[in-house]
Amino acid sequence: MEKDATEKGTIAQSLKNAGYSRRDFLQLCTTIVATAPMGLALTEKATPAEVAKSIAKAKKPSVVWLHFQDCTGCSETLLRTSKPDVADLILNIISLDYHETLMVACGEQAEAALKSAVSENAGKFVLVVEGAIPRKDQGVYMMLGGKPAVDVLKDIGSKAAAIIAMGSCASWGGVPSADPNPTDAVGVDSIITDKPIVNLPGCPPNPYNLLGVVLEFAVMGKLPACDDLKRPKFAYDRVIHDHCPRRAHFDAGRFAGQFGDPGHREGYCLFKLGCKGPVTHAGCSTRQFNEVVDCWPIGTGSPCFGCTEKAVGFRIPAFERVDVHLATPPDTYAPISGSVGTFGAAAAGLVGLAAGALGGAAWAASQKLTSSEEAVAGQDRKTTVGGK
Amino acid sequence: MTRWERSVPVYGVPVLNRGFWALLIAVVIAFVLSAFREVVGLGGSVSGMSDPFAWGLWKSFNVMVLTGLGSGGFAVGIAVWIFNRTRLHQVMRVALLTSFLAYSTGLIMLGIDVGRPWNFYWIVMPWHWNLRSPLLEVAVCITFYATVPLVLENLPPLFEYLIYEHPKWRGFAEACEKAMHKVYPFIIALAYILPLMHQSSLGALMLLAGDRVYPLWQTPFLPLIYVWAAAFLGYNCVVLCVLLAKITWKRDLDPEVLAELNKITVWLVFTWTAFRFLDILVRGKILLAFTPSFFSALFWTETILIAGSAYVLYSEKGKNLQTMFLAHAACALGGMIYRFSPPTLAFRPRNGAFYFPTAIETLVCFGFIALAVLGYIVAVKKLAILPGTNADWLKMAKYEEQVKPGIQLTGYAPVEH
Amino acid sequence: MAMTRREAFKNLAKGSLPLLAAGCVSTALPEVAHAEEVPLPKGALGLLYDATKCVGCKSCMVACNQANDLKPDTRTDGLHQAPPALNSFTKNIIKLYRTADGSDHSYFKQQCMHCADPSCMAACMFGGLRKDKQTGIVWWNGALCVGCRYCEIACPFHIPAFTWDGFNPRITKCELCRERLGKGLQPGCSTVCPTQAVIYGRREDLLKEAKRRIAMSPGRYFENRVYGETDGGGTQVLYLSRVAFDKLGLPVLGEETLPERLKFQHLAYKYMALPLALYAGMVAFAGKNFKEHTHHLVEDQKKTGLRPQI
Repeated sequence: MEKDATEKGTIAQSLKNAGYSRRDFLQLCTTIVATAPMGLALTEKATPAEVAKSIAKAKKPSVVWLHFQDCTGCSETLLRTSKPDVADLILNIISLDYHETLMVACGEQAEAALKSAVSENAGKFVLVVEGAIPRKDQGVYMMLGGKPAVDVLKDIGSKAAAIIAMGSCASWGGVPSADPNPTDAVGVDSIITDKPIVNLPGCPPNPYNLLGVVLEFAVMGKLPACDDLKRPKFAYDRVIHDHCPRRAHFDAGRFAGQFGDPGHREGYCLFKLGCKGPVTHAGCSTRQFNEVVDCWPIGTGSPCFGCTEKAVGFRIPAFERVDVHLATPPDTYAPISGSVGTFGAAAAGLVGLAAGALGGAAWAASQKLTSSEEAVAGQDRKTTVGGK
Repeated sequence: MTRWERSVPVYGVPVLNRGFWALLIAVVIAFVLSAFREVVGLGGSVSGMSDPFAWGLWKSFNVMVLTGLGSGGFAVGIAVWIFNRTRLHQVMRVALLTSFLAYSTGLIMLGIDVGRPWNFYWIVMPWHWNLRSPLLEVAVCITFYATVPLVLENLPPLFEYLIYEHPKWRGFAEACEKAMHKVYPFIIALAYILPLMHQSSLGALMLLAGDRVYPLWQTPFLPLIYVWAAAFLGYNCVVLCVLLAKITWKRDLDPEVLAELNKITVWLVFTWTAFRFLDILVRGKILLAFTPSFFSALFWTETILIAGSAYVLYSEKGKNLQTMFLAHAACALGGMIYRFSPPTLAFRPRNGAFYFPTAIETLVCFGFIALAVLGYIVAVKKLAILPGTNADWLKMAKYEEQVKPGIQLTGYAPVEH
Repeated sequence: MAMTRREAFKNLAKGSLPLLAAGCVSTALPEVAHAEEVPLPKGALGLLYDATKCVGCKSCMVACNQANDLKPDTRTDGLHQAPPALNSFTKNIIKLYRTADGSDHSYFKQQCMHCADPSCMAACMFGGLRKDKQTGIVWWNGALCVGCRYCEIACPFHIPAFTWDGFNPRITKCELCRERLGKGLQPGCSTVCPTQAVIYGRREDLLKEAKRRIAMSPGRYFENRVYGETDGGGTQVLYLSRVAFDKLGLPVLGEETLPERLKFQHLAYKYMALPLALYAGMVAFAGKNFKEHTHHLVEDQKKTGLRPQI
């Protein structure tokens, strides 16, 4: 994808030059509103037309995209949007000044491009980081142009206006950080502590998460509201379980027991197969991927594996069950009068035994008694008091 | 014809025999299980109680029923000291001992049954008492009764024991006896008014349960019927004790005293039964007694056991010791079932719940009964409780002088108090 | 031996001293007011639950647990909050009434009724359950509770729940989220109800609203009346239902409060007059008989030389 480093005008200009129709642009804005109905100042109580207006006026933000210990999946997720060719559209809304996978240059040309992109937009560009950063052995396990990734990040990060950690790897270490984490791979916020960082965990995350954050920054001049793990609330404030299309099956107690069994074929809840939905914050259940309905793990019958969560993804085994933290009622009801109480066999035996023993003893004891006169007359002569 | 003149200890029988050890094992089991209950809580396997059946065996049996059985102290006491039935003096000590044991084990059981016993100290802080609560009356009254008047009434045999067996303590014991003589009427009047109050309050407890108690039992006169039942239960217990003393330790029986005890029992039971039927009639629930159901069966079982036994005692057959024993046993059983019914057997919480004690609950209940029986057996062997004649005393004195030389059991000149 | 008049009066006087003393004490003790004297406070708060509007979503159950910081009861399957009844984890529950053939059904929200004259409060020995003087909310005070569970026996609605497991049991029941009320919030249940089946407010307003609904739709509600207006002496939580109240588990109660059944008891113990009078009488008789008895004992001792036994 060619980038035009000189065209730094407004987004409207850029789109016009690229030949996009207003309809396509409005469609994109509609998608953005649908992606983030709350939590973004850009879309808060705004119609797509209003969003379009504010975006059009904004200047194209300069974006530098660095890859570290990654699989490039987060870039791919950006490219896998298709209706209309939104990848193209996105790349006309932002000015992607450096992207190793998408740019044509390589070698010294690439390094020069990076240098110029950073210096020209110093203090103004958005740094998107994809991939984890290894720290072990002075960071030799990931080198960029002969320099360790740690140093590259520190250098370029210090000149960015804001940093977006795209994907789980950049957010908290992701795959490279799985036990035993041989390269001491960490996320961006373990290295840079003095710049505003937004984490977009996911493997990969939904591309509209990125678009929402970038546009908010470009148009409104600030980053969206985030939680204490620096994840934007508009995309990460709820767990999958609370928005899952299969929740009704969970509430009714209908579960798939094994892959391919009747329950699985019916599309029942995948909790018993180890679905991490209850403990995973992400928006996949509502936004899904590739703009195709049900194009997400649970939709295809595969339990969620918690890719956004550091404690879950690549840590808890795929088929191990997790706890549901906020238990809610099922779709059954308590009856007006329930039955309570059991009849313990041991206790019944004890009571019966005691009753029988007492009764028998009473009868036996009574046998030893005779009429009053006899007893009185007899005892005086026969037995002493106290003999047993 | 034997004529009881004084109480004589059971002598010549070892205290630590097989019966003792068997009972002790039961007691230890109960204590261990109680400790378990304190840690684990009251639910699950520990007891069969649940929210609909919040009271179970411990409160309803060990406290409500057994203190009824142990009401001889006040029931016989009132006859002796208020109505001046002087012959019954001879069985007072048995009555008092059974009362003390029933109440003290009942109180311990209560302490184990409540869920937050550490808050029980409020009982001595009147400014937090809820005077509307019948349970408060029960708790304060039983606690005070069992720790003050009942203990004081049971001290004389202990004083005597000290005087005879521990000469070092003689002076102290004699001084105590003297002090007690001065205030005795005040102590015993207290020991009669208090049980009248709390035995009736035990009945009042179930008034608040409303129509969860089946109408053949639920009545505004529940307190009165309860205390009346306690009275005849007390007599049953005393008679059974003296009859058992004859069976186990070959003690002699005084037919006059027995006859008087029987007469009072019969009178109490007949009036009780009459009142109960009248109450059911007036409330218009008599038809329930004739509708076949678990409750009508229970009602008639109680009534036949109680009134039938009293009738037997009233008739000529009642003079036969064997019949007398069985009649009192049956009457006691009926009376216990009566007092047990309103909180458990005749209690129907709306949610169709069911209560049956668990094994642990039953073992603890038995263990505490065993504790009372153990206390009784040890006491009658060590102290002068069971009634006997002066001749028996002299025989006992002879025996004891052989075993414990130097002990003085006869030859005391009167000291004017 | 007959008692002389002088002796009789002497004994009676001796017995009357404690009567006087205790009479003074008992009048000084704080007397909890009786049923007739406890009207509903002016600011009495409550809930109105209209069963005809409830759709059984159970959001109120989730909200109740969250508002009260109570772990939900997941003991049935470890996954769902499915308590079978009110218990130590559940202050509020939605129950379903269904006929055997499924032809009729109604939901029922069960929680504490906050009675005008609570039976549980009359039962509690040390005042562990008390009714707030302004809001009329009946709440549990753990510092005064002994765990005797008499409140469970006394409550006609089967509300107080005891913690049957563990060594620090509590009594758990709805307290109208009284901690939230101070912050100007509503109780958890009424806040989340999507159909406004349960609403919260002052009891007099709720009663008016209930009557308004009945007047607007005659025949819609069972017996055209509000349950709790006078039932059991009046409750602060009111119910409207199409289905008969007792089918939903609400007991059939007259206008009298349950503590009224204790009125004879209270009369008998008023100022401790009756017990003290009886005591005085007993001291008098016992004193006389004791004197006689000791006299006989001394006589016997002279004859036998054996120490007398009281």
